Parts: sequence; structure tokens; C-alpha cells
Amino acid sequence: MTRVTHVVIGGGLNGLVAAALLARAGKSVCLLEQSPTLGGMAAPGPDGSARMAHLLYNLSPRVARDLGFAGGRWPLSMTELPSVSLSPEGAHVVVRGARATLADGTPHAQAAAFATLHGRLTRWGALLRHLAEAAPPGGLDGGALSMQGLRQMIRLGRVGLGLRGMGKPEMRAFLQALLSNAHDLILDELVDGPLAGLLAADAVRGAAAGPRSPGTVFSLIYRMGHGGAASVPKGGMGALIDAVAGVARAAGARVETGAKVARILVEGDRVTGVETETGETIGAKAVLVSPGAQVACALAGHRHFDIEATNRLRGIRARGTAAKINLTLDGTPEIPGLPADLLGARLVLAPSTEAVELAFNPSKYRRMSDAPVIEAVMPGLTDDGQPKAHLSAIVQYAPHDLEGGWSDAARDRLLKITLDRLAQVAPGLPARVTAAEVITPDRIAGETGVPGGHWHHAEMALDQLLALRPANGIGRYALGPKGLFLCGASAHPGGDLMGLAGLNAARAALEAAS
Amino acid sequence: MSITHDPRLALIPGPVHDRLTAQSRKLGWYGWAGYAAPSVLDSVEFEYFAMRNQAALFDVSPMHKYRIRGPQADAMLNRMMCRDIGKIREGRVGYTIWCDEEGFLIDDGTLFHLGADDWRLCCQEPMLAWLQDAAWGFDVAIEDESHAVAGLSLQGPTSFAVLEAAGLGQPDQKPFDLRRVEDDLMISRTGFTGDLGYELWTPWAQAGALWDRLWAAGAHLGLRAIGYEAMNIARIEAGFVTAGVDFQPIHGTERLHRGLTPFEMSMDWLVDFDKGHFNGRRALLAKRRSPRSRLLKVDVEGFKPARDALVYHNRRREVGHVTSAVWSPTAKRNIALAHVATPYADRVPGNLWAEIYTAEEGRWDRRMARLTPLKTAFFRPDRARATPPARH
Repeated sequence: MTRVTHVVIGGGLNGLVAAALLARAGKSVCLLEQSPTLGGMAAPGPDGSARMAHLLYNLSPRVARDLGFAGGRWPLSMTELPSVSLSPEGAHVVVRGARATLADGTPHAQAAAFATLHGRLTRWGALLRHLAEAAPPGGLDGGALSMQGLRQMIRLGRVGLGLRGMGKPEMRAFLQALLSNAHDLILDELVDGPLAGLLAADAVRGAAAGPRSPGTVFSLIYRMGHGGAASVPKGGMGALIDAVAGVARAAGARVETGAKVARILVEGDRVTGVETETGETIGAKAVLVSPGAQVACALAGHRHFDIEATNRLRGIRARGTAAKINLTLDGTPEIPGLPADLLGARLVLAPSTEAVELAFNPSKYRRMSDAPVIEAVMPGLTDDGQPKAHLSAIVQYAPHDLEGGWSDAARDRLLKITLDRLAQVAPGLPARVTAAEVITPDRIAGETGVPGGHWHHAEMALDQLLALRPANGIGRYALGPKGLFLCGASAHPGGDLMGLAGLNAARAALEAAS
Repeated sequence: MSITHDPRLALIPGPVHDRLTAQSRKLGWYGWAGYAAPSVLDSVEFEYFAMRNQAALFDVSPMHKYRIRGPQADAMLNRMMCRDIGKIREGRVGYTIWCDEEGFLIDDGTLFHLGADDWRLCCQEPMLAWLQDAAWGFDVAIEDESHAVAGLSLQGPTSFAVLEAAGLGQPDQKPFDLRRVEDDLMISRTGFTGDLGYELWTPWAQAGALWDRLWAAGAHLGLRAIGYEAMNIARIEAGFVTAGVDFQPIHGTERLHRGLTPFEMSMDWLVDFDKGHFNGRRALLAKRRSPRSRLLKVDVEGFKPARDALVYHNRRREVGHVTSAVWSPTAKRNIALAHVATPYADRVPGNLWAEIYTAEEGRWDRRMARLTPLKTAFFRPDRARATPPARH
């Protein structure tokens, strides 16, 4: 039997960050990833293309600093992409930061209103970041006099001061908007159309929610935490994963792929290690689980959890609605009305807020959208390290619990719907497709172990955020028997390839060990 | 919900309601889980003394009964219950308690080990939803048998003789043994009186016939039908607790901290920290050394029952209250169960007092009665445990 101090289950970004930080803190660490490739939902395809997640929004500088990268910067060359909201009518909108123009370079009629809204969302995002980055508030066992308690008080105080510093009108607007729906907030400032649709689509990406659902303003602000700009790393997602895995390995962590954990071992209400499907036993004092609380509970055995705790786990909403479609093309497609130099941008097909809501509606009834919302990128156009003619698309809504199940016929139908939709802005595109890969939520769940194949591991809704993420009572990474921790995107502060859940989980595990 | 079926508005007849009606001269009924149950049939004294000196028959069918079956039934129950149910062998019955995640008592009850992977839980509170929650993740099936299985409690020194006369005697049946004596009849040597006694379990529709069979057999052995009031005296004498009276089931409370831990109920012996995880174990580990109060068995000075009395330390400081109190005709003592705050419950006894109100011909008065804590039950006769049992 091998013995380590910490086992990390799942080699996605958060799992790798946790493993690397634990190893850097002098712990002996073993990370076990069930699939042959590291990266989880950020794992690259065999040709280096983005298989699932394809953009970075909120990659945390704090994680880079703690991982010990030189200068506290990610050792990645990132290309910030402009966003293009495609219009079937041809009047595509280009957004660079707070600046909105039309594709031909002329100013957008609502550029000023958009800049105001963008500025507000970014300011609010920066304010909420104080809450988002550290472990969620609460659990002040040591009181305000302990170092940890003091830090927490200062952090909360900063949020409070930040609120006051906004001035009364904006504070009122913030508190009014925070819990409301994106649809209302956006249409208060903008006329419905591609520009409004872009924001609406960003508010609900990966969520089982439409822009009219309550709490979508919060998820939109969350996305704006670092300004809302989307980037692709040079060399693709694989470069990011390699960088973190490199730190983990250099610090002495054992990182294994193709190693599926069969059981988490518990003795005397304390985690004692894991047993893999091949029968290998690895002894450990703590086990950190990426795929989520339900998985941790099933691996350790329900009997080690209180009944109320399993009740809350059952209630965690993780119903994946986003499918990933990867298209191999025989050349660069054309989009009428869009200059060729913008083909490498983040292309969003969400003609209006209303269209996003209409796309969401069928998913409530376990059906796929007839006119889905699509976010597509062709990273090969801006990065030589990635295949040239590859279009990577997140397609919403394709619910995990599709009526009748995800058969091959259902996947073919989703592909056809997606190609038809894309053809509305790029008529020549379908003819250029030489191969297509349709990764529906059931496949995401199967490949990564993430419940419901949910893009963020658990719905980013107000009742599943902060100390309530993924559920009340397990919001501070520890759950069940001693030594068991959550370290994936289902834990605070959630998904979007930030790495913060892994960082906070590693800290919680280190604190518990000391 | 139709008005006629709303248990708050109307009571429904139990399986032996016509037999009870025939015996009821007081016409005193109360609602027990929606059923019309007798509080008194004849007179409390007659019924009580029949139970302590002869034999008494009490319908316990309104109790909630749940069947737990399946390959993981043992594991599921051990995670739910505070004690190690592995120690309750097949064909045995165990008294058990279960707690919520904060270590507060949900209810107490008896667990019948019917066979391999087959259990029945008998308890006072509705428990189906909780059992289903507890069963999630385990390969077990939960069935509510509350309205399918009837129970008759036959208690008292001649109860074995009554069974024998009815052709149901099992002389080698030990306390807490469970026997299937006929296809549709199980007998457990259990009860709520602290005396020799049995509980007979049969399908709902056959309860009437069983009643008649026992009634005929008991004619010359002093068998009497009894109501709840007589039973309540007996259970206080035996030191048994009642949900809603001696503790508030935590699922029925809305105010914070109204729950009680097993340690506060002086039920330490029903909690096994060595058996592995069970619901509330982590909280109970933290709370085991710091009970806020303790349930004490106390002897009350004088003869006026200390019903609803507040408890004082040194006659001045209010430190608790009486939950159940009665004059015990058998022990010839004024007895009570009382929650007393720590540390007063732990100190050398002798300085605890109950404030008792008396009304004599329209004049109210108040006096302090000294409480003497006791270690054992007020009534605990050897005949309750003798095997084979005596016939008289």
C-alpha cells in the first residue's frame, strides 16, 4: 500500500491547483484522474484543440501567485478576444471591453448606454470579487480575534466600505439589481437586439436558467469579475493544464491518469485513503474530491454522512444544459458582413435577449432548443499552436435529462439544429464540415464524473453560492468524515476556470492538518 | 381533504373500537394519531390495579409502525439509530432512540428484528418521511404498516397465564424476545409498564378476533380493558418517557435549542460512539460532556403530585421543571420526572425543590416540596424478568 498525506480525485484545473499547492506546502500528494488526459472539462482533444471549455474569463492571478509562477503571472501568452454578436440580418456587433461598434467600424447606436452598463457591471464585479476569492464567510469559530476571523472581518468590511463608497444612488441600484434578472437589467439600458443578446447569453452560459430567471444579474456580474474579457491561451487549454500539472509534479506530487477511484476509505469517522478500480490502496490523511459532493458521498458511502447532509446533497441542482460541438472544417468559413480579421473573435449567436429566453424555454420541458444560443471560437485563427480549421461551439440549451435520452439520433438532431443555426450567419459553413463531435451533457458527465454534466458542476444560482455552495453546511470545503474536502467547481466560488475552488480547498485542508 | 377524514375534526375507530365501546362506561375518548382511544373506560383506579395485580389489555394499534427491509437494512438503521443495532439479534426487540444532525432527539421507539434484513420500527411520532430520507443511498424498502398491523398490549402479573389459557403461552420467552406463534400472530415480551407483559401483533382485520380470544381466556384471571390514564401511571412508575411530554421531538419544534440530546435525557446508555458513524454522532461527541440539563427521576416530598411544577435549587434559583408526576399507588411514593439544569442536576442531591400549588376549597396555596433524585426506576419487580414467568 502506498502512503501519502493527501489524495486529490480529479485532474481538472481545480484538482491540479489543489494538488500543486499541497505539494508546494510540503505535503506528499497523489492526484488520480480517471480519464487518460488531464484537464477535466479543460482537457484538450488529441489534436490540441479545445474539447470542452475553450475560453478563459476569470483565471485568478492569486492562484498564479500561490503556484509560484515568476512575477505572480501565469506563464501563458494569452490573446484577448473581442466579442462579436452575430446578427442573422448582417449587422454584427463588435464589443471590445466597454466599446461597442458595428462590424464595419461605425459606432453602435447604443454605444454610450452599453459603456455605462458595462462600467457598472465591472465595478460591481470588482466589489463582489472580495467575497468571491477567499473561502466563503461564516464559520467564525475562532471569533474575530483569531487571525482567520480578523481577515474575514476585514474582507467583509471592505465589501461594506466599497458599497458605501459607490455613493447612494449606485448603491441603491446595485442592491436593487443584485437579485433580479438579467433581462430587466439589460433592457433598462438597451434596446433588444444582438448587443443585448450578447449580455443575456453571457449571463446564462452553462446555466439551467434564462435571462428572465431571477439571480441572472448576479451570474452576469460574476462573469465580469475581471472585466469580462475572454482570452485564449497560446497552445490552447492544454498549455494551462500543463503549466499547473508541471508545478504539481515539480513539487513532488504523483499525478496519475487513467486511475479511477472505486472507494474512499473511512475508519473511525476519518478518511484513511482511497481504493482504485484496479484494487490499489493509497493511504492518506485527507482526500479532496473535484467532481462534487454527491460523488464524494457515493465514493465514501452514505452511512458516513448525516441524513440531513445527504438530503441537502440530493437537493443540489446540477442539470447540465450546455452541449459542446466541435467541428472540423476543410477551410475557414466566411461570415457575410464580418471582416476576416474578426473570424478569430468570440462569436456569439444570440440575436436578442428574447431569443435567449426562447431558446431556454424548451429545456424546462426536457427538450433541446430549436434555435440554440451558440458561443463559437476558432482558436486556430489566432494561435498557430492549435489546429487551423477547428470550430469549437458551446450550444445551449441541450438539457442533460433530455426527454427520451441522448441517443445517437438525438445527437444528430442537435448537430443539425446547430449547423442550421450557424448557417443563418455563415451559409457556407455546413458544407465545409468534414467531421463533427457532439459532446452532450450526459457525455460530459460520463467523461468527467461531473453530476449532470453541468458546465459549472452545480448551478450558479443564488441559493447555491458563497457559504451555500454547493449546499448549506458544506460551504467551507469540508464535508462528512474528517479529512474529506470538496475542491472542484461545485465548491465556492464555482466554475469558469478560475482555479480558486482548488486554492481555497487546499488551504482548508492545510488548516485542518495543522 | 374531506372534513370527515380530517383527524383534527373527527376521530376514526381503531381495530377493536367496538370491543372498547362495550367496555366503556366513562365514554372517555381522546385522539391518538387520529384514532379514538380510551383515556378511561371504567375508573383509573380499577384499571391501574388490574394492571398491577392481575392483567390489563390496552390497544396500542395507533402506534406508528414501519417495515424496513432489504440487503442494506442493517446498515441503514445503524446509521439512523444512536445504539448499535447489530446487538439486537434476530427474534429480539430493542429500545432505541434517534437524533437529528445536531444530536437532538427525534423520537424513541422499539425496533423488532423480524428476520435477516427485516425490521419493524414502532414509535409514537409519524416517521415515514424521515425513514425515507434515511434510506436514500441504501438498498432498502420502507413500508408504512401503521394501518396494517394492529397491536394489543397485555400487561400484568397474570398476563402469562392469560396467554397460556388462550393457547399462546411461551414459557421460555425471555424479556424482549419476539416469537411468531401463529401465521398471523407475533408476540413480543415487551410493554410500557415495567412489569411482566406482552405485546401481540396481528393484521388489522384480525385484531377483533384476537381481542375476543384473550378476553375469553382472561375471564377468570382478572383481565380488564384499560385506558391511557392507567397506563400513564404505570409508565411513570417504570421511569419511561413519552414524546411530547418528557421531551419535545425536535422535528416538532420551531424555536431554536428546544431539542434535547440523549445525555440531557439521561439516555447515555443508548448512544454507542464505537459502532461507526450514526446520525448526529459528530454533534453528540461535542455535546456529550456539556449537557444543559438532565432528566431526573425524583421522589417528591408529600403526596400532592408535582404536576407542571417548577424546580428550584436551594428554594430560590429556578433550575428546571417537572415533566411527568404522579402519586405511585404501588411504590407508595410521590414520584416525578424532572428536567434540571446542570450543574444542579449533577451536584449532591438534597437541595432541589418543586414548587407545588394546592387548592383547598377555593383557597390557593403554594409550598416547596423537597426532591430526592433516584438512580433506578420507582417500580422494577423481579417478576418482570423471571423466565419462565409466574402465572399469578
